[in-house]
Amino acid sequence: MLEVRDLEVAFGPVAPLSGVSFSLAKGEKLGIVGESGSGKSLTAMSVMGLLPLSGGRITGGSIVFDGQELTTLAESAYRKLRGRRLGLITQNPMTSLDPLQKIGPQVDAVAVLHLSMNASEARTRTVEILGTLRIPEPALICDRYPHQMSGGMKQRIVIAMALAADPDVLVADEPTTALDVTVQAQIIRLLDDLVKERDLALVLITHDMSVVAQTCDKVVVMYAGRAIEYGPVEAIFDAPQHPYTQALINCIPKGLSTDEHLSGISGTVPTVSNYPKGCAFHPRCDRAKNICTSERPAFITYGNNAAACHFAGDDR
Amino acid sequence: MTNLLEVRNLSKKFVTPGGPFRKARAMHAVNDVSFDLAKGRVIGVVGESGCGKSTLARLILRLIEPSAGELRFEGEDLRAKTSSQMRKLRADMQMVFQDPYSAIDPRYTVARAVMEPFVVQGRSPEGSVDKEVASLLTMVGLNAGLASSFPHQISGGQKQRVGIARALALRPSLLVLDEPTASLDVSVQAQIISLLEQLRDDLGLTYLFISHDLSLVRYFCDEILVMYLGRVVEALPDTDLPARHPYTKTLMDSTFTPDPKQRRVIAPLEGEVPSPFNLPPGCAFADRCPYTTAICRTETPILTSGTTHPVACHHPL
Repeated sequence: MLEVRDLEVAFGPVAPLSGVSFSLAKGEKLGIVGESGSGKSLTAMSVMGLLPLSGGRITGGSIVFDGQELTTLAESAYRKLRGRRLGLITQNPMTSLDPLQKIGPQVDAVAVLHLSMNASEARTRTVEILGTLRIPEPALICDRYPHQMSGGMKQRIVIAMALAADPDVLVADEPTTALDVTVQAQIIRLLDDLVKERDLALVLITHDMSVVAQTCDKVVVMYAGRAIEYGPVEAIFDAPQHPYTQALINCIPKGLSTDEHLSGISGTVPTVSNYPKGCAFHPRCDRAKNICTSERPAFITYGNNAAACHFAGDDR
Repeated sequence: MTNLLEVRNLSKKFVTPGGPFRKARAMHAVNDVSFDLAKGRVIGVVGESGCGKSTLARLILRLIEPSAGELRFEGEDLRAKTSSQMRKLRADMQMVFQDPYSAIDPRYTVARAVMEPFVVQGRSPEGSVDKEVASLLTMVGLNAGLASSFPHQISGGQKQRVGIARALALRPSLLVLDEPTASLDVSVQAQIISLLEQLRDDLGLTYLFISHDLSLVRYFCDEILVMYLGRVVEALPDTDLPARHPYTKTLMDSTFTPDPKQRRVIAPLEGEVPSPFNLPPGCAFADRCPYTTAICRTETPILTSGTTHPVACHHPL
């Protein structure tokens, strides 16, 4: 359904994204994880064709959606895809709804624009979709303003807008980061059900390894603008090949054993203008050797995973 | 073990004034909360947004005036203090705020931010100011060279370290930590938590740790208070104890574990936290609880010790 190959993105002279590849079939859930600044959201924006808005452009690689190359697609053609076959759920439900417009018209607009429905058909559809998202009294909700609703409810409205035109691919950029744990569990469960019911392909972007563990089929781990590990979720957690992947997993408290120790990852994510030479992770890596400071590791397949580390596959 | 902090029946009622077109409304943000915090211990307070945990933190430092109840800090009655006496006492009880982006004045350098408590207290550090700044920054794992930086020049994790350094400037014995890692990446969260662990051991600090993340609280704290709509519904003296309140159980079940083989079918809590205005009689959790019976809708359960630990539920698990 969606295939991304060696994607590269540049903003003027800086290249925040240099090498992301993954593929996604219908009914599959792919997680993209990494810290802030690792290029997760940029990847999502590239797929949605929203880079020009912020002044970026794709300088290499390809994005193929259902047999169609997206990197060279004209904006007018992209408009027909975006919101129609490619749905986006943004990070902050508090800011992705128009505060001056009632909920109903905001969701209706999608069906009016993409499915050429008239106002009353669109409203019927809106009420139906809100209902499937387990929003109580959907008809009444249409007359409410965003400020009258809780964060979890607003996130459901944003999901409803993304689903209104029956997309094939849903890109969810940190959909639960701003929410409470109980609401997070509701939203994740909802996304899970939607993928099953509608045979969607889901791209879930998060910094939280436990969300990935509970939801996804495949994982891309990103660091400093590159995918550094890619594989099925069980393999990633069972035998992570990249030290960064292991470190991200170790950041999550399991909560039960008292002897566990949270170490965190020392140092900070490098900024785009000073990505380190060689392996970008080497200044923070406790396994780094000389080769890591000079040579950029290639992506090598090991077992079910592929990792960009000079020592991938070594016994731990 | 002596108690550093004793809280008895603490309550806070916010009243919104009425006007020609609306009635005055009252909201119990914190309702009848009691607990003891022993020296050197870490108590975690968990609950969803709006359950009153941040209000509780502010009440303890009397940043908000309590409506009722008692507060004792090192045996002294805090509620009897005047505001100037309270200001002096606060040198010994400091707070770290949730959002490091707004907790530090953007026009202040890091050095001025960590020295601010001395200005407020009208004191000066024992050694030179530069030395004090350097030692505080080193204490929280920051490079002393950052002293002349402005907040916008440093990362979120570094800002939170500055927030912690500022709270430690006057060498307090109690730190109230209000979701200190909620706005940070998981990797930075782990760094901050291990810093807090180390500071506790080095300086003998006592923490009140507010969080919505139950697995983090279970990892970091010695005891847990679970809050729901202003009340403590369960007090776990040990973090390994199983949940007895259905709400605590739900919180535990909603927490994701980083293990794809332990993927659970989450039965998420349906519905949302009811409005704290005009709470229905009985248990506030009754509408969302699978074990609700008639008594839950009429009588408010009180926190009572059962076989293991205190829980406020008519049908504990």
